[in-house]
Amino acid sequence: METLANRSSLPLRTLHRRKPAHYYIKFVLRYFLLIVIGFLMFSPFILAMLGTFKTDLEITAFPPKFLPEVWHWENWSRVWNTDIGQGGTFPRWMFNTAFLAITISVSQVVFCSMAAYAFARLKFAGQNAVFNFMLATMMIPGAVTLIPAYVLMTKLHLINSFWSLILPGLVSAGGIFTLTQFFRSIPKDLEEAAFLDGATHMQIFRIVILPLARPAILTVLILQFQGMWNAFLQPLLYLNSPDHYVLNVALSIFQQQYKSQWNLTLVGAMFNAIPIMILFFIFSRYYIEGVAYAGVKG
Amino acid sequence: MQNLNNKTNKSGIGAATLVFIGIFVFTMIIALLNAPTMGGPRVMASVSTYLEEVRQTAIPFMIAVGLVAITIAFLAAREVRKVWSNRKKRSELFTGYAFISPYLLVTMTFTIGVILFALYISFTNYDIFTRPTWAGLKNYEDAFKGFTDSTKRAFLQSLYNVFWYSIIVVPLQTFLAILLAVLLNAPVKFKQFFRTIFYSPSVTSSVVITLIFVWFYLKGGYANYFLQSLLGLVGIDFTPINWLGDPRGLIQLIVEAFGGKIPSTQWYLRGPSIAWMAIMFQNIYTTIPTFMIMFLAALQDINPALYEAAKIDGASGTQLFRKVTLPLLRPIILLVVVLGTIGTLQVFDQVYLATKGGPLNTSLTPVFLIFQEALGTTGPIRMGYASALAFILAVIIFTFTFIQRRFLEKGTELY
Repeated sequence: METLANRSSLPLRTLHRRKPAHYYIKFVLRYFLLIVIGFLMFSPFILAMLGTFKTDLEITAFPPKFLPEVWHWENWSRVWNTDIGQGGTFPRWMFNTAFLAITISVSQVVFCSMAAYAFARLKFAGQNAVFNFMLATMMIPGAVTLIPAYVLMTKLHLINSFWSLILPGLVSAGGIFTLTQFFRSIPKDLEEAAFLDGATHMQIFRIVILPLARPAILTVLILQFQGMWNAFLQPLLYLNSPDHYVLNVALSIFQQQYKSQWNLTLVGAMFNAIPIMILFFIFSRYYIEGVAYAGVKG
Repeated sequence: MQNLNNKTNKSGIGAATLVFIGIFVFTMIIALLNAPTMGGPRVMASVSTYLEEVRQTAIPFMIAVGLVAITIAFLAAREVRKVWSNRKKRSELFTGYAFISPYLLVTMTFTIGVILFALYISFTNYDIFTRPTWAGLKNYEDAFKGFTDSTKRAFLQSLYNVFWYSIIVVPLQTFLAILLAVLLNAPVKFKQFFRTIFYSPSVTSSVVITLIFVWFYLKGGYANYFLQSLLGLVGIDFTPINWLGDPRGLIQLIVEAFGGKIPSTQWYLRGPSIAWMAIMFQNIYTTIPTFMIMFLAALQDINPALYEAAKIDGASGTQLFRKVTLPLLRPIILLVVVLGTIGTLQVFDQVYLATKGGPLNTSLTPVFLIFQEALGTTGPIRMGYASALAFILAVIIFTFTFIQRRFLEKGTELY
C-alpha cells in the first residue's frame, strides 16, 4: 500500500517541480493574447471615438493620425443640434428608439412570462400542439414575412406609426421559450402550498413565480431592449418620415447626407452605441447569461 | 344533485357556444386582415371599400379559412364542455388560453396570416396599388431565368454571393469563437472584464459597426494604412485598395496572378469579390463574440472530472482538447453552425449600408434583392416576385439546416 502511494506521488512531485517555468510562460502568453485580442475587439470603438473629435479634413487624410490635432468637442453639439427637416433631429430619434425599445421589451416580458407560465405550469388540451407549433415558427426565416407584413401594415394604415413595430413585437416565440425553460426549473413546492391556500393562477404567477424568475425576466428584458435598439430592416421599411426614424435608420440617412464628413457620422454612431454600451456594462452578467442560456438550453 | 348537474351542463353548453363564436370571429378578423386583396391605400380608404374588395377577390380564401376556423372552434368548444364540470381543469384551460392568447393573436396575424398572403401573391403579379393578377409559376421561373438570360441573373448572383459568404464566414467564425472561448475559459484574473471587452462588438448595432468599418475601408482609411505599414515592415510595396468598390474576385485574382483571365461572361468562376470579402471580415468580427459566449457557457458546463480522468490516463493538452472538449462541444457547434448559416444567408444591413449590392452586383444578397424588388428602388414594384424569392430562400435555408443537422448530429449520441 505504502509503495503504491509513493510510486503515484513520484510523477506528481516532478510535475510540481517543473511547474514554475512552464507556468510563467503560459501565464505571460495568455495575458498577452488576452490583451491583444481585447484591444483588437475594442479598437474600432476607440478609433471611431477619436475620429469624432477630428476636423472634416483630418478624418479622411492619409495617412490617418491616431489622435486629433485639436480636440473639436463642438462636433458633438453640432450633430446634436443638426436638423434634417420635418422634425428630424438626434434627440428626437434617440427618444423614438428608446421609446420603442422600452415599450417592446416591457410588453415582451409581460406577455412572454404569462405564456411561459401557461406552458410550464398548467395542463390544458392542445398545450403541446401549441408549444410545438411555436417552436416550428421560430424556424421561419424573417425574409419570408418581410413583404406581406409590409403590405399588412399598409392596409392597417400603420406605416409611419410606432404601432407597426410595437404590435408584432408585443410577444415573441424566443422569449416565451427561454422563460418556459426557466420556469420549469423552479421547484413546484411553493406554488402547491399557495394553491392549497386557495390562490388563483394569476396570484401564483404574480406573487410566487415572478419574483423567483427575476434573473430570467431581466435577461429577456435586456435582450429584447437590445434587439429593438439595434433593429434596422423593419424600422427602415415601416418608419420613413424624419420625425419617426429610429437611430439606426436616421444614421444611414445621415451618412448619405454628410458623405464626406465622417467625423459627424461617427458622432451619430456614438450616440447610438454609447447608451447600449453603458447598459451592457451595467447588466453584462444578465446579458451574457441570456446569450449563453439561449445556446446551451436552446 | 340531478338539478345541479343539469345546471352545470347548461352553463357548460352556454360557455362552449360563446367560445365557439369567439374563436370563429377572431379567426375571421385575422383572416380578413390577411385576405389576398390588393390592399393598397385606395382600397383601405374606408372599411366598406375594403370589404367590397374582399368580396370580389377573396371569397374562396375566406371560405377556406372559415372552414378551418369552424373546425378549431368546434374542437375548443367540445373541450370546454368536457372540462366544465371539473373546477380545476376548467380554470387551467381558461387561464392557459387566456395567458397564451396574446401570443396566438400576434403570431396568427403577423406570422401565419402574412405567410399565407405571401404564398398567394408569390403566384401573382402584384404592385401594392392595383389588383394582383394571377401569374402561375412565372415568378418562380423568372428567379432562375438567369441561367439563360444574363440580364436576369441578379437572383442567381445573389445566391452565389451568399453561398461564398456562408462557406467562408461560418467555419471561420465558429473556429475563432471556439479559440476565444477556450482562451477565456482558462483560469485568468479579470475574466469578467475581458469577457465584457470581447463581447462589445456584438452589443452595438450592426449599423454602427458597419459605418465604422466603411470608414476604415475608405481609400485613405485605417485598413489600407494598417496593411501598408505592416507590409512595409517586410519590405513589400502595397498599393491602397478601394475595398468596398473593387469587384475583382478571389479566384480571378489568383488566376490573373498566373497570367490567366476570366471573362465577365463567366462571372460564376470569379469567386467572392474584394468588396464582398471586406464585408465578410466585418461580419466575422461582429458575430464571433456572441458565439464565443455560447461556447464559453458550454465549456463551463463540462465536468472537470472528465479532464482529471483523461489526465490520469496520460492525455496531453491537445489530446484533451481533441478527445474531450471538442466532442462535448458538438451540440453547441451544431447550433452555432446552423445559426451562423441562417444568419449569413440573410445578410442585409451590411450590404444596404456599405455597398448597396455593388460593385457589379458582387455583394448583392437575396434579402437585399427582395427589399429592392418590394420597394421598387431599381424598377417597378414587384411584390409577387419578391415573395417568390423569399420562399425560394426559405427553402434553401431549411435544406441547409436539415443537411447540417444530419451531418453534424451523427455521432453526438455517443457522448
